[in-house]
Amino acid sequence: MPAVKQTVDQVESLERYQHGFVTTIDQEFAPKGLSADIVRFISAKKQEPEWMLEWRLAAYERWLAMDEPDWAKVSFPKIDYQDSYYYAAPKEKIGPMSLDEVDPEILATYAKLGIPLREQEVLAGVQGAPKYAVDAVFDSVSVVTTFKKELAAVGVIFCSFSEAVREHPELVKKYLGTVVPASDNYFACLNSAVFSDGSFVYVPPGVRCPMELSTYFRINAAESGQFERTLIIADAGAYVSYLEGCTAPMRDENQLHAAVVELVTLDDAEIKYSTVQNWYPGDPETGKGGIYNFVTKRADCRGDRSKVSWTQVETGSAITWKYPSCVLRGKDSVGEFYSIAITNGRQQADTGTKMIHLGEGTRSRIISKGISAGRSSNTYRGLVSAHPKAKGARNFTQCDSLLIGKTCAAHTVPYIEARNGQTVVEHEATTTRLSDDQLFYVMQRGLSQEEAVQLLVNGFVKDVLQELPMEFAVEAQKLVAISLEGSVG
Amino acid sequence: MTLSLALEARDLAQLPSRRDEDWRWTDLRGLIRELPAPSPEAEASPAGPFEGHGDSELLVVNGRLQGDVGLLILGDGQRRVLRLRLVSASPGTAHAVRLSIQLGSGAELTLLETHEGQAEGYLADSHLSVSLSTGARLERIVLADDEAEAISVSTAEVRLEAGAEFCQTILTHGARRQRLETRVEHPGQAAKVRMDGAYLVSGRRHADLTTAVTHGGTDGVTGQLIKGVVADQGRGVFQGRITVSPGADRTDARMGHHALLLSDRAEVNAKPELLIFADDVACAHGATVGALDEDALFYAQQRGMPEAVAKALLTEAFIGEVIDRIEHDGAREIAHAWAADRQVG
Repeated sequence: MPAVKQTVDQVESLERYQHGFVTTIDQEFAPKGLSADIVRFISAKKQEPEWMLEWRLAAYERWLAMDEPDWAKVSFPKIDYQDSYYYAAPKEKIGPMSLDEVDPEILATYAKLGIPLREQEVLAGVQGAPKYAVDAVFDSVSVVTTFKKELAAVGVIFCSFSEAVREHPELVKKYLGTVVPASDNYFACLNSAVFSDGSFVYVPPGVRCPMELSTYFRINAAESGQFERTLIIADAGAYVSYLEGCTAPMRDENQLHAAVVELVTLDDAEIKYSTVQNWYPGDPETGKGGIYNFVTKRADCRGDRSKVSWTQVETGSAITWKYPSCVLRGKDSVGEFYSIAITNGRQQADTGTKMIHLGEGTRSRIISKGISAGRSSNTYRGLVSAHPKAKGARNFTQCDSLLIGKTCAAHTVPYIEARNGQTVVEHEATTTRLSDDQLFYVMQRGLSQEEAVQLLVNGFVKDVLQELPMEFAVEAQKLVAISLEGSVG
Repeated sequence: MTLSLALEARDLAQLPSRRDEDWRWTDLRGLIRELPAPSPEAEASPAGPFEGHGDSELLVVNGRLQGDVGLLILGDGQRRVLRLRLVSASPGTAHAVRLSIQLGSGAELTLLETHEGQAEGYLADSHLSVSLSTGARLERIVLADDEAEAISVSTAEVRLEAGAEFCQTILTHGARRQRLETRVEHPGQAAKVRMDGAYLVSGRRHADLTTAVTHGGTDGVTGQLIKGVVADQGRGVFQGRITVSPGADRTDARMGHHALLLSDRAEVNAKPELLIFADDVACAHGATVGALDEDALFYAQQRGMPEAVAKALLTEAFIGEVIDRIEHDGAREIAHAWAADRQVG
């Protein structure tokens, strides 16, 4: 009875974190710890020009003078920054290579994760299926970037950050650190000093990027941190949709992931940035292990009528601490934030957004759905600020929290700052548990309690799921179900 | 970090500043460069706004109680209507006062509280601690009438036992910097709280309404409606925090904050917070900030009303919703008149 077998398999697979395996390959590490020499080591490994090294060292100097922030509603033991590897890479040649040169173990890893690295594989299956290009980042290096030729034909640059520093220094120099300055905050500053790889995207004026771009981040090495840096520039009238995914092995230790993402949109340009974050959340019972996801993501809508849309599905990480933001500088620019944050077990999340209205006629929209279960804590923290010159600024915010179980917590902490008389800000928030009536209704129609919860939760997060690119929405929906596994009953 | 600590220790470093999360929009350290001399003894004008209502009066002038002690105890089942007048009568000086009220089981008190600024540029701090025994009830109505250059902080701490009820309406038109803070703890079961307020701010005035409610027992109810109208270069601040502790099931908490910006340089800052540690709850908050409804204004003008009159009518109706919820009839009428006199915009 294949159907029964399939169900059994599925149930078994749901009971554990599916991406928790480790790939055994030869890896090269920088010596443990953090110092100016390590910064030089990373820069040298990446064959960076002098100006890049200086930028890193300046950031390192500033980082030393900064204090770790502690205002978020998360608690964790003090991080020992000297007890971690800041560079880990598969022992192969540096930089992007053709697929045939990549360690077969790494290819197998990505196959297991369901990430198509072979271009023809993307097309396998249904004819006319949408293509998407992948930049695969394994620990501290980008191992491969697909569809580069096809993208180059329309002028789109999509490559690893290290490659961009070497091949397109003028673009990197012009935009790096202009959205998130090196000393913006403690973790961004640390990233600026030791960042390893990440993606770089430039879409030239008037070009609509012909396919979805995506980066897949994988932490593999033990006792290491991942510090990637992503920079996406949409020139006047350009459009690009970008997706990032992340997973890590199951380990008893906590690993730090401190990334920086900078987005720049010029006149009439649009960037759609989607994240499906599924880092290892730690052991649900003991809370041991898991990733600390302390990320700085910010978009600068510099151009008039430009638009940035953040969509995030946050299901993983022991601790999530991030606020993808939009600086709405250009006239009539638009910022959007759609978020699903799910915490279960002993996870803690303090996440939300900042919409900074600087230009006239700027608009923003925030839809946040938080779900907490188990012994977890889930906080929405958001800022909507309209500056004196942002005449006619408009914001709508809706944040709903759902509680499953007696031992979890859900918090809503919005900040509203209206500093001119022609602003309209609307905010609404609700916190409830799953409705008994609805559960009863669904179960009465023959669904199990678990299925009923999944159905109701999917309804709760639907507004956000539909903002994701279609092929990822299905994945995300499954992920939502998996994350809540074991939270009822 | 409080104003009263700073006054007591004569130490500017004790003042709360923008770096303190709860004071981010009401910075005192950046504003107060030196602590003024303590206020002398003084006389207040004979009658406050609630004159003629209630059966007794507690008068505090420049932080000094006039012929009374700072503790009011109401025995079980007693009922009283009390006027509490906090008068600042000397210019450019500082004073602080601490008062307590204790209500026995089933006791009922209506507190008609007024903050009366009768001099320029004073610095005033008042602290009121209230405890309500089982089934006791307090309605507190505050008219905060500080002077434009004054700096004033008023804090009330309220503790409710099972089945107690606390209703509050604060009306203010701000000061150079003014903060009215209320903290409510209800560890008891089925406690009820209504915490309303309205700020009418113009010129360069600043009004800060801060509230924090912690639900510790089951079946607690909190309702909150705060409205604000800000004109000129005025600034309104609302910070509301509702915490539901673990086990405080069947809590029903609702908070609304709505503000009107009547000029280009008006400013409103708000932080409505929900901190929920129990699952069987229904909590919600809504916050809006915007200009007067253009359609409503047009409608009124179309019927022959001059713009200023139409605006006044609309803002009066807007604030009126808060005042209508006052239960004491006499106080409600006075509050309506008080708000109409301080109409901004």
